[in-house]
Amino acid sequence: MDLEQLRKTAAEVVARDDVKYLIGWKKGSYGSRVAPAFVEDAASVIELIFSPSCTANLATYLTLVEKTPLPRGQETDKRKVALMAKGCDSRAVVQLLVEKGIHREDVIVIGCPCPGMIDQSLLAGKYGDTEERSEVRWNGKDFTLVRGGDEIEIPRNDVLAEKCRLCRHPNPVISDYLIGEAVKEWDPAEDSGVGELEAKDVDGRGDYWEGQFSRCVRCYSCRNVCPLCYCQDCILDRLNPTWINRAVNFSENTAFNISRAFHLAGRCIECGECERVCPANIPLGKINRKMAREVREKYGFEPGLDPDAEPFQASFKPDDPEDFIL
Amino acid sequence: MSENYEPNIVAFLCNWCSYAGADLAGTSRVQYPANIQVIRVMCSGRVNPLYVMNALQQGADGVLVSGCHPGDCHYMEGNFYARRRLGMLKDLMEFVGVDPRRFHMSWVSASEGNKWKEVVEKTVEDAREAGPFEGFRRRQIDW
Repeated sequence: MDLEQLRKTAAEVVARDDVKYLIGWKKGSYGSRVAPAFVEDAASVIELIFSPSCTANLATYLTLVEKTPLPRGQETDKRKVALMAKGCDSRAVVQLLVEKGIHREDVIVIGCPCPGMIDQSLLAGKYGDTEERSEVRWNGKDFTLVRGGDEIEIPRNDVLAEKCRLCRHPNPVISDYLIGEAVKEWDPAEDSGVGELEAKDVDGRGDYWEGQFSRCVRCYSCRNVCPLCYCQDCILDRLNPTWINRAVNFSENTAFNISRAFHLAGRCIECGECERVCPANIPLGKINRKMAREVREKYGFEPGLDPDAEPFQASFKPDDPEDFIL
Repeated sequence: MSENYEPNIVAFLCNWCSYAGADLAGTSRVQYPANIQVIRVMCSGRVNPLYVMNALQQGADGVLVSGCHPGDCHYMEGNFYARRRLGMLKDLMEFVGVDPRRFHMSWVSASEGNKWKEVVEKTVEDAREAGPFEGFRRRQIDW
């Protein structure tokens, strides 16, 4: 990744009159962590980075903006927002365009081809965590951890995030500016987590998910971080009708997780954010990936690739499978 | 499972075909199991997949959704949407450990009183085999 080119492009974009700010990554407060950066002027582009730590999906900030009522006479800020997007982030942008959650003219995508990101918890587990700043870099095939002057070689599969092992679209699907060269796509690993569950019988799966969902604390982090969960009026917040009670117990937790998984069926772009932020470490990715695979294999649809596609659940084909119908 | 267990089935029937089909079964004196609680909706496309989940949560042992045959929908395409959504819901439910025998979908037209009988018999039989739904049913808490 050419940081010079990134910063030059960013400065050029931010300097435009019709751009409000640029959402990118900057160094975090400790370890090799990164934080989202909202760059409003060309002078601050120097803080922008792109490293294997940039696992988070920034596309969620496009819809997370609070739209407060404006004082009389004041007009809404209609300027564009620029966004640094990896392959998966760009798919989220495309899916938002499909659903008309955002408009194409309101967003500038700075595509960053992604050679694979690390999972911070795997890194911390295997190589320890430090308060001092460190940095992870790509070195061709593997990663290098630069910490206190030492350079530690890390084999790629040791710390590679799960979503990246299974990734099929490392290059941005849409972009207005592309930073560096497109990366060579790798063969996605077999989805062993979902496969193992499918091999069980229905009661075995029920027991597995009961163990997982019982631990859910209903913090709704998964919903809040999800780039595609942006309904103004979410069924989880709605009181009349109360689809899902607020009680934290297995029944309501399961109902919550089923409804969220269902709402993401045919929309989930498998960025793995829900799984990453879950404080109870519930493997939500498995459920979403399973649904994404069903949609891909049975209905031949993959979300987040074609901005002109019809939303999956709001369209149909006359020859959709109906082998389950009596 | 006790000997005299009777499953509780919630059926969502579309107003134009399946409800009329069930009505025909009734007026023709066709005998079918009485475990079905019918809820009439205007179209099978109106059945929110959350209805199915909610029915199971509130004590149903099985759910049946029935609509017009593809192409016969009173609203032209409502049942096509239903087919896509509920097909996915069935896959999802199966993946999180709900017995697939608890959820069925069928096409029953207004003239198919006898098919309605078969569908109900199949649904009830499947739910009976699957037993009382204990999965994520809302449990009454006695203080």
